[in-house]
Amino acid sequence: MMFKKSYGFIYLTPMAILVVVLYILIAWNLVASLTLWNGILPTWHFAGLKNYINLFTFNRFWDDLRHNLIWLVVFIVPTTFLGFILADFFSSMKRSEKVFRQIFLFPMALAPVVTGTLWAWVYDPGSGVLNSVIKAFGVNTARLGWIADPRIAIYCMIIAGIWQYVGFAVVVYLGAIRGLPTEMYEAARLDGAGRVRIMFSITFPNVGHGTLISTTMLAIFTMKVFDLVYIMTGGGPGDKTEVLPFLMYQIAYSQRDFGMGTAISIVILVLAAAMVIPYSRWAISKWVQE
Amino acid sequence: MSEVTERNQNRWPFVIVIVLAVLWLVPVYAMVVTSLKTQTEVANQQYLAPPAAPQVANFGAAFSPLRRGIINSLIITLPATFLAVLIGSLAAYYLIFFQFRYATLVFFAIVFASFLPYQVVLIPLTQLLNTLRLLDTYAGLIFAYLIVNTPMAALIIATFFMKAPKSFLEAAAIDGCKPFPFYRMILVPMSIPGIVSAAILVFVQIYNEFLLALALTLSPAVQPVMPTLASLRGSQVAQWQIQMAGAIIVSVIPLLVFIFLSRYFISGLMAGYSKE
Repeated sequence: MMFKKSYGFIYLTPMAILVVVLYILIAWNLVASLTLWNGILPTWHFAGLKNYINLFTFNRFWDDLRHNLIWLVVFIVPTTFLGFILADFFSSMKRSEKVFRQIFLFPMALAPVVTGTLWAWVYDPGSGVLNSVIKAFGVNTARLGWIADPRIAIYCMIIAGIWQYVGFAVVVYLGAIRGLPTEMYEAARLDGAGRVRIMFSITFPNVGHGTLISTTMLAIFTMKVFDLVYIMTGGGPGDKTEVLPFLMYQIAYSQRDFGMGTAISIVILVLAAAMVIPYSRWAISKWVQE
Repeated sequence: MSEVTERNQNRWPFVIVIVLAVLWLVPVYAMVVTSLKTQTEVANQQYLAPPAAPQVANFGAAFSPLRRGIINSLIITLPATFLAVLIGSLAAYYLIFFQFRYATLVFFAIVFASFLPYQVVLIPLTQLLNTLRLLDTYAGLIFAYLIVNTPMAALIIATFFMKAPKSFLEAAAIDGCKPFPFYRMILVPMSIPGIVSAAILVFVQIYNEFLLALALTLSPAVQPVMPTLASLRGSQVAQWQIQMAGAIIVSVIPLLVFIFLSRYFISGLMAGYSKE
């Protein structure tokens, strides 16, 4: 059923205004990144790629981009894998399911600031939970710096991220697994396939759209990691846990270099768009089918 | 059904789930018991031991600096959520129930906008609010959150509108139901689960948001609770019991939403992110 009234456009108008403002802001950002800045205000004198050249000759930028790539791989793979395994288990459990599922889902309702506060304490080298538990076993913890150790700090932070977001992958896979026909499993079982075999050679290949959604959404998340870095380390030790979204805030709001700040945000836009555009097209094509 | 019971005979997956569940809960357990300890107990670092006598006073000490932030967060989050859901549902209504040539294009613009990192609009948004003299005001933050959250609200509600039984809706149209009464008296009441899902997802997202809250406010008078918690952390270094009490206090609202409305929370996530 469809209404054809032209005045119906009034229903879309408030949303249209907000979306237009959003896209104007993005365009503004793009143009401003090509101009000279006077403190916090663009002078609107065209400067070509000056802000970008400054950025691309800035070592911290490349370090941070590399840290974003580490997040991309080290965060997404375990989160998706754990999410799939847990969802597979939950989908074959009965009543006990709900309680256990909630244990993995509730961190998603917590603010990243809260997760950061909690895990900063877990990892604190002097008085943290982890070292105090290890000490109880009589191990010398003096060399276990965790979040203060430049070699492993970023991985420690990523574990906090996995802790918070695994529930998302669980939810996505639960939906996907529920949609699978049960005959498939019966046939496999008649052929004598074991549980692990069924999980990886039947369930997993048939929930490809779940894997696509989970990895894409988590990938987009890695392009906005800010709260955990701000709360847990402030980017340190050195710049070992600094990522682009954090660099953008630091450069623009702490160092007041808005010219470079806009350039970083355009880099973030390009990286995020590379993930969001194909995903949006896919999601819409699924929608149009219905 | 036989498949479920058969699979249940396997016990090892259950063991794995329990081990993981314990790993997931240990930090939370440590957080809760520590929030109830004295400074001396905390200094002993027996984090997994229960407190000798629960120190409820820690919560008082953490609550007083956070109180203003919690009030500010609610003043900002409640109207922003209401408006996002209202505007989003009207847009979803138009896109799904009216003939519109560019519906797919508009959908694309909305989906794309829902997933963009906030960093992409942060600097221009700061300048826009500054020009409008809305920086460091409730109205400015509400406006900022509306811009970034309404697309997601529209997306979730549109998913639910599409599922509304078509025959019933057609009958209403044949009976001569006009567009607005149709939206208000039939569509919205029928889609309450979808609207609630969108509302809680947007509510929790705004309440928990940190970057905009930090960048678009300057004074404690309007600052939402997350930046306030971050500064509490800075001022209470090594006072873990106060920090943990503060972290628990600010989590109470989203956790209550999650516990009592988890069905909607999950269906909102599914509709918004995974089109199931």
